[in-house]
Amino acid sequence: MWRQPWGYAEGWIICFGLLMTGGGLQWAVGPVEAGLFRFPVNGIGGLLFIMFLGLVSVVGRKTRLVAWFSGLTASLTAITSLLAVVLVMGFTGPGIGQITSSWPFVLLFLYFLLILGFATLKRLCELFAKRAHPFSKKDAPFLLNHAGLFLTLSAAVLGNGDLQRLRMTVPRDTPEWRASDEQGNKVELPLAIELRSFTIDEYPPKLMLIDNADGKALPVEQPRNLLVEESPLSGDLLDWKIEVTRSLPMAACVMSEDTVNFVAFHSEGATTALYVKASNRAGDRVKEGWVSCGSYIFPYVSLQLDEKVSLVMPGREPKRFASDIIVYTKDKQTKAACVEVNKPLSFAGWKIYQLSYDESKGKWSSYSVFELVRDPWLPLIYTGIWMMIAGAIGLFVFAPTKNE
Amino acid sequence: MDWDQFIYFAVPAILCWAGGAWAAYRSSSGKGAVALTLVGLMVFSAFIAGMWISLERPPLRTMGETRLWYSLFLPIAGLITFLRWRYKWILSFSTVLSVVFICINLFKPEIHNKTLMPALQSPWFAPHVIVYMFSYALLGAAALVAIYVLVRSRKEKVDKTVMLLCDNLVYVGMSFLTIGMLFGALWAKEAWGHYWNWDPKETWAAATWLGYLLYIHFRLRSPMRYGMALGILVFSFVLLQVCWVGVNYLPSAKGYSIHTYNME
Repeated sequence: MWRQPWGYAEGWIICFGLLMTGGGLQWAVGPVEAGLFRFPVNGIGGLLFIMFLGLVSVVGRKTRLVAWFSGLTASLTAITSLLAVVLVMGFTGPGIGQITSSWPFVLLFLYFLLILGFATLKRLCELFAKRAHPFSKKDAPFLLNHAGLFLTLSAAVLGNGDLQRLRMTVPRDTPEWRASDEQGNKVELPLAIELRSFTIDEYPPKLMLIDNADGKALPVEQPRNLLVEESPLSGDLLDWKIEVTRSLPMAACVMSEDTVNFVAFHSEGATTALYVKASNRAGDRVKEGWVSCGSYIFPYVSLQLDEKVSLVMPGREPKRFASDIIVYTKDKQTKAACVEVNKPLSFAGWKIYQLSYDESKGKWSSYSVFELVRDPWLPLIYTGIWMMIAGAIGLFVFAPTKNE
Repeated sequence: MDWDQFIYFAVPAILCWAGGAWAAYRSSSGKGAVALTLVGLMVFSAFIAGMWISLERPPLRTMGETRLWYSLFLPIAGLITFLRWRYKWILSFSTVLSVVFICINLFKPEIHNKTLMPALQSPWFAPHVIVYMFSYALLGAAALVAIYVLVRSRKEKVDKTVMLLCDNLVYVGMSFLTIGMLFGALWAKEAWGHYWNWDPKETWAAATWLGYLLYIHFRLRSPMRYGMALGILVFSFVLLQVCWVGVNYLPSAKGYSIHTYNME
């Protein structure tokens, strides 16, 4: 053990030792504080790390120790150990954040980066000393994959302390500049958001049958539903023929002692109502009446077809959430935009995402919730990602060996 | 077009692919095999295109819909492997695998509705899932070859050309797996605010990726240790299955993963 040349045993012991050391640190000082590692400390740390890797690779390129750290045995043991930790995370569930900020994970991750850096630099050194290793077409994917992964992972780790993810609740027509971080602390921002309007577009209403006894959608294994895109419309659910004769996309419920009626209502709190005629296939039962999914002011109305089943309209599914906003910065820049899920706004170094709204009021929500993200390290991460994509294409084009 | 018409496209496609597989053994040029496989692919793609149009969204959301793509990509992967390395048996193999997935969709179809939640409405959706399905098809083929070889290896020595086949399939599969994962990261940044959230699906995707990374490096380190390499290959495919299907059932991920769209 520990006598050159090193083999698998040394690799396993290093990984195991790192996990144990991490466990000790965790016990002694608690989880890793990403917040302490902010710019410029993380930038300097990253540069020192790369300089260290470069210097050792060049100066020690003929030593067996550096050869081992940039070789396949070290890679295999590091990949296996990282895989083992990721598997533990896979079975953990919601506590994952505690693992990614724990010392054993962070130390092992840094060791993985070290090996990856050495492997990349070894190939680079060989290429510069051309006689030892003339450039072949397989070197390009190798360098793109290894250097790309190294860049992405190190930028992700180093940039973690500078990453800001904030949540901002903005009521309609009142500009807001205060947001809260993940711990709920208030943060004042150099920009303000004004909400002009918030809209939810919905998919057409659906009708389905439920079991009167337990409220479960039928048939139990694979519930069926009828999408009411237009009226009049007819369709089948189990052994019932369903006919929709009237549709009120914006409706109010008018109740008297023994009747439930719906009328058109184009104002806040409106719900959707369908007038339905249902007859069973045997032809001995016909039922008709209003069915509605209700809203925060109007009740949910179902139609009982017989002792066993009722016809219901589940809440309409959202098709699009959108907030019309104006963003103001301290230096008097303004920008008007529509922010939607999957369509964030990039402005003044921030990305603004549609996150949530008043769920109890649904499409009548009077406020919108945004997530604001600032990640100054993103360009480096994207560079690494696109290098890996190019490298993966190279792997596909060049790597397969000849059929011998 | 909907699932009721699936059988009228599936059966002709299967017949074409089976014909192509048979033709691969018959002629040395392989032109007939390629032509028949292509006709089958066109018939099958026509159904997917029809579904896409009638659903008014890409048919990529439910497990049944992703199986549809998987059944399409298996013969495509088989055809590419056939064209590139001329393995005569590969088309029969990809056809049989594809038939298995078609049968699941024929006998246990899932209910499909038109709605697509806003989080999935993105130009990244189709490339992310399609690239992944193609990679799963290749890596599935590699895993089955590995199991077959491992079982047979008790009786006879492992053939070197079979190991080279596994390498080829893994390299191409891994390149698509990587692209699928990175497209996912780029999309996650647009949709969820961060490129990596350690969501259960992402965690298992990372585990799967590390598994195949291990295979590639192990083959370079110890090219003669076939048994261990094949073992890693099968193990990695188990991780892939957990990532693809298992995450929906895993207690640690249930009701928590932001990647579960098909459980209503």
